[in-house]
Amino acid sequence: MTALSAAPTAPILLAPAAPPALAVEGLSKSFGGLTVANEIDLTLARGDRVALIGPNGAGKTTFVNLVSGLLAPSSGRIDLAGEDITGLSDVERARRGLVRSFQVSRLFHGLSVREHIELALLQRTKRTNQFFAAIGRMADIADEAAELVERLGLADIVDTRIDAISYGQQRLTDIAMSLALKPKVLLLDEPAAGVPTRDAGRILDVIDALPADIAVLMIEHDMDLVFRFAARVVVLASGRIIFTGTPAEIAKDEQVRAAYLGVYGREEERHGR
Amino acid sequence: MSAVTARPSPLRGDFIKLAAVALAGLAALVLFPNDLGLMTRIASSAFLVVSLDLVTGYAGIATLGQAALFGLGAYAAANANLAGLGEPILMVAVGGLAGAVAGLIFGAVVLRSRGLAQLVLTIALVQLVHEAANKLSDITGGSDGLSGIDVAPILGAFRFDLYGRTGFVFALVLLLATLAVLSVIVRSPFGLKLRAIGRDPGRVRTLGAAVMPALLVTFTLSGAVAGMGGAIEAISTGVVGLDSVSFERSAMALVMLVLGGSGSLYGAVAGTAVFMGLESIISAANPFHWLIIVGVLLIVVVLFVPRGLTSLAGDVRRLLAIFGLRRDKR
Ligand SMILES: Nc1ncnc2c1ncn2[C@@H]1O[C@H](COP(=O)(O)OP(=O)(O)O)[C@@H](O)[C@H]1O
Ligand SMILES: [Mg+2]
Repeated sequence: MTALSAAPTAPILLAPAAPPALAVEGLSKSFGGLTVANEIDLTLARGDRVALIGPNGAGKTTFVNLVSGLLAPSSGRIDLAGEDITGLSDVERARRGLVRSFQVSRLFHGLSVREHIELALLQRTKRTNQFFAAIGRMADIADEAAELVERLGLADIVDTRIDAISYGQQRLTDIAMSLALKPKVLLLDEPAAGVPTRDAGRILDVIDALPADIAVLMIEHDMDLVFRFAARVVVLASGRIIFTGTPAEIAKDEQVRAAYLGVYGREEERHGR
Repeated sequence: MSAVTARPSPLRGDFIKLAAVALAGLAALVLFPNDLGLMTRIASSAFLVVSLDLVTGYAGIATLGQAALFGLGAYAAANANLAGLGEPILMVAVGGLAGAVAGLIFGAVVLRSRGLAQLVLTIALVQLVHEAANKLSDITGGSDGLSGIDVAPILGAFRFDLYGRTGFVFALVLLLATLAVLSVIVRSPFGLKLRAIGRDPGRVRTLGAAVMPALLVTFTLSGAVAGMGGAIEAISTGVVGLDSVSFERSAMALVMLVLGGSGSLYGAVAGTAVFMGLESIISAANPFHWLIIVGVLLIVVVLFVPRGLTSLAGDVRRLLAIFGLRRDKR
């Protein structure tokens, strides 16, 4: 087993080392008697690609909820780019570039794909308090939306209401929204779960092509995707990190195999919750 | 990038709908010269229903107390008039302002709670305002209503006539202007955020947008629209009664909104016109059972056209497209 996060060694360079994109320290959360996050330490450097895996109910989603500010931790601390954000609201965290997606897409019934992307773009560029502006006249929004739509293969359905498109397309729209926010840290909760292979491939392509300086944490069950995506894999079980290592190390480790890989080799578990 | 179709321009569709309301109003002026009182009440009630649509249809907050804002606007305008303000446009401004302030306070209270408790809170608020209006008879006339409103000619030029022509045109023009402004707002970046908030406020927050301030702004805007409607009703009828701040009026507004289709400004207007028009026809034809008939009609609409009458337009368009009679864009 390797150390959870490369503990920062004494700085050898003259320039001060940049703080990690995200640093989580001793994060804990209990629901009643059930501890779903137990002293979690996790650091994401700029440009990191980390996969968070673990059996259903391990606390992966809870971890993302804690980090994104949807849940208040019982104890622990979260730093974003060296700043303590533990006490900040979900809104404030998102504004600072900490962006998350949801395991089950949460989209806006009745709005078109284009409107979803526009909303995120307008929010990032701080324009959602404009009352009388016409979105259609904003050339920068149109260009960036068109670029995202193209990249995610949503061109054919861009003006279709979100409730009238397939689940895979909804997931792609969800990801387009996250990308439109130009995150510094991106937390993806099973982005490809329940998505047909064609769309899942598109999702992975998009994630592969993310700007190199974004730190990405992805929860994912599909080990093929994990191997393709992650430089580092973190295994969570019962709210505790039980292993951190490269995908190759994970595959070799007997304990993880026993606790996890064996279970998830089975197809029916792949698209679990 | 060339593959992505150009953004459809929503403003043209809005313009057509606005023109349709204008035409319907002008037709009413010509066709029902003896019913302009009813037509004016439809127009002033449309303000109430549109204001409710902003809060409920767009922002997703159900309220059964919207008439509190409408009635407060009416009382404010009437009191301003009794204090010497004759110009009807200024009276509407007073009503709108009073409604806006009331809307802000109403929102600040209501937004403290959620779900069913929130709905109950809106009922409690409108009952409170109703009871206060009943007690404060010095400024409301209590259960007798506030009368003696004496309106000057509009801009000193257009006198209110016995047939209610001026009153109706006044209400119609203000309604059209309000709808024009609101259609721009609901399509604006703020409007887009508002529609998203109405569906999933939590998701909007994770995009980095604060929800509560946007909702307070919406309540204020909604109060302004409702208050203007109240003032117009006070101007055209010359009295303000307790019913204008009642729970019943609020509930009827919700019925009209559901009938026309919530989340669409023109659905709100259509619902008001259809409901009040039918109510008037049926109550004249059958003074004893009209409420039952209206009730049955409503049930039919809710069961078979759950997204409201204006959704039928889209259904018709789709049908035409299926039969190849109309080229659909998609
Ligand atoms: N709001 C909540 N209240 C109580 N228990 C919860 C809540 N959210 C999650 N849990 C519990 O926490 C555990 C971890 O859940 P979750 O984080 O969703 O797991 P994972 O995403 O790894 O499948 C589960 O046992 C779940 O039932
Ligand atoms: Mg989960």
